[in-house]
Amino acid sequence: MSPTATATRAAAKPAAAPTFAYAGKLLRVNLSTGKCWTETWSEKDRRDYLGGVGLGAKILYDEVGPRVQWDHPDNRLIMATGPLAGLPVWGTGGLTVITRGALTGGATSTQANGFFGAALKYSGYDAIVMQGQARKLSYLYINDDVVEVRDAAHLAGKDTWETQQALEAEHGLSGHRLSVYAIGPAGENLVRFAAIHGDYGHVASKNGCGAVMGKKKLKAVCIVRGTKALAAHDARGLIQVADDIAHDLKTDPSTATLYNYGTLPGVVNLSKLGVLPIKNYTTNLSGDVDMKEWEAPKLREGFDHRGHQCNACGMRHCHIQVIPRGPHAGERVDEPEYEGWSGAGWTIGLTDKVPVSWLNTRIDRACVDVNEFGWVCGWVMECMEKGYLTEKQVGFKLTWGDVEGAYKLLQMISHRQGFGDILAEGVKRASEKIGGKAAECAIYTMKGASPRGHDHRGRWEEMLDTCTSSNGTMESANPTFQTEVGAPGRINPFDGEQVAKLVGMIRGRRHFEDSLGGCSFTFRTRIANLASALSAATGWDYRLKDAVRFGNRTAAILRAFNLRCGIGTEVEYPSARYGSQPVDGPAKEHDVRKQWDRMLDVWYETVNYDRKTGKPKRELLRSLDLGWLEKDLYGKK
Amino acid sequence: MPGEVQPKASRATIEVTTWVTKHAGGDGTGSRIFDEEIRRGDTPRTVLRRFTARFPELDAALWSPDHSELGSHIEVLINDAVLGVTYDLDTPLIGGERITLLGQFMGG
Repeated sequence: MSPTATATRAAAKPAAAPTFAYAGKLLRVNLSTGKCWTETWSEKDRRDYLGGVGLGAKILYDEVGPRVQWDHPDNRLIMATGPLAGLPVWGTGGLTVITRGALTGGATSTQANGFFGAALKYSGYDAIVMQGQARKLSYLYINDDVVEVRDAAHLAGKDTWETQQALEAEHGLSGHRLSVYAIGPAGENLVRFAAIHGDYGHVASKNGCGAVMGKKKLKAVCIVRGTKALAAHDARGLIQVADDIAHDLKTDPSTATLYNYGTLPGVVNLSKLGVLPIKNYTTNLSGDVDMKEWEAPKLREGFDHRGHQCNACGMRHCHIQVIPRGPHAGERVDEPEYEGWSGAGWTIGLTDKVPVSWLNTRIDRACVDVNEFGWVCGWVMECMEKGYLTEKQVGFKLTWGDVEGAYKLLQMISHRQGFGDILAEGVKRASEKIGGKAAECAIYTMKGASPRGHDHRGRWEEMLDTCTSSNGTMESANPTFQTEVGAPGRINPFDGEQVAKLVGMIRGRRHFEDSLGGCSFTFRTRIANLASALSAATGWDYRLKDAVRFGNRTAAILRAFNLRCGIGTEVEYPSARYGSQPVDGPAKEHDVRKQWDRMLDVWYETVNYDRKTGKPKRELLRSLDLGWLEKDLYGKK
Repeated sequence: MPGEVQPKASRATIEVTTWVTKHAGGDGTGSRIFDEEIRRGDTPRTVLRRFTARFPELDAALWSPDHSELGSHIEVLINDAVLGVTYDLDTPLIGGERITLLGQFMGG
């Protein structure tokens, strides 16, 4: 196939300083003109911004002004990996997508895995920064120094798996030799919660990054596994640290379950805590469902399956499985992770494992975020049950647990057909448009972000994080070895002050993880271990305190970006249903709304931001060596 | 001892769930239920200490290395409420409680 636009330059001169662990170059692509070029980044910038969201946040802040909305050609779509990608540490094929997102209209960072990050590094690039908008549907082809924006007319309308299969056939490559991240119909049709999917089952899901890609008319990014050298400063030391991390993952009581089953244990465990979202938050009881059948080993029983590991990963986490019975018997699907079982299952009242597994992959293939799909579909189901939405409005009758109906709704959303056009705006906008009682049933943050697939009314730390974050999802992540940063090992989860302090103290961990080019599950180790890996890879002396500081720097930059976009403290609270008191289950006695204002007070105090303006305080910015940001936020003084 | 809470019943149930059962003679699924004696002055700490003394792997998993506090990776629920809500580690038990050990879940 002839490329529609090829403007490949020879690789720029290598950076003067040694680029241990890094390719040392950023790949720039202007989709409007088809021009592709590289630029080096300095040792200082690498140290300051690492990669992933750290690098992406800086580029976003510098290059996307407040008037550049998510659908403007000048918006940037950044796919960035990090210093550990491609090196022999488990799960290091990761990338982070950074952009101005379609749901919140603010900054986005959302991380995914597979082989992309490693393939990109082996091709000689640490990140791809895309700007502009192609005139017709295109895909980006990368094969070492050959970088081309190619015509993608033949891929139009294909789902993400079909797109990957077509590109594999076209290039005669598959498996780890070709990494593809693509959008499906939902992205092409600018669904505000469209995601970017890759390598059969991995997803950068949050804040409508797939809609940004669709607006740029970019169907896929396709990378041939490159041939460039990548060196660690201390290869032996890196392997030793990698072994230490792997040993921890296999043997630590908290992560051994992740090692064996990934996130599958979440269904049963969270149900016992009242944190499994059931039927759009209308109950926290599992009814007559035998929860023993939802334990991790049982979730794998009955499916033919095999491991589907990411780059350099030894976990038994990701699996491909085969639908064993029913109308879709024989179809190959990606084993749902916890959020698949919740978003494509419990949230919409579907508790038969086989159809949940099938629907979950259909959602992926359409390139829809499974969390937001659950909130949208569950909202429609509840509203139809209660008469807040009619069959005439929706176009058909949809009841709890109706998998074929849910799939029909998915198709309507992905193609913006009928009522699906309203739902494609996300549950916040859709419920505001419908109004009345229906509006009170929708689950979202007032910023417009999709909560993760939990019932946060039993997990306040994630609700607070989701509502205060500046990246369209959570910034602090689940508490993991939090004693390492001086936080208590356990707190009363319904004591707002304790919760807010904990969230503030662990803030930034996720940004550090999502800047390294690996997986948040294989990185469920002590930050000190990750810092040691980074030191061995780069030759720096990187410590826990540096990682914490880095996370807080990144959070401050994202916060400043959002403030500049007009997203401030006035929208830091949950919707009526999201913040409601559970009617039953283990958390029914606890009402987060009664403590919300106090939680915000404590959180602001802990992170050292101004409660009224939302700005990081001057002294914090100075301590983080962010004088340039201080000038932007406060003027020259 | 004056002021000491007197147990109303002399037993409590310890339920070890899902993967935590591997540390208590199980296969990592379902639950294992243990009927435990409650003695005068018992608290969750003392009952769990006696209990985990019988299961060295669980002992290592549940407690911090110096055994002074719980580690952070197994949730302890008492009557379905997470520790810290109605009971803490040193709240006197009244008997009849159900103490659940639940593997902490991290991730989405």
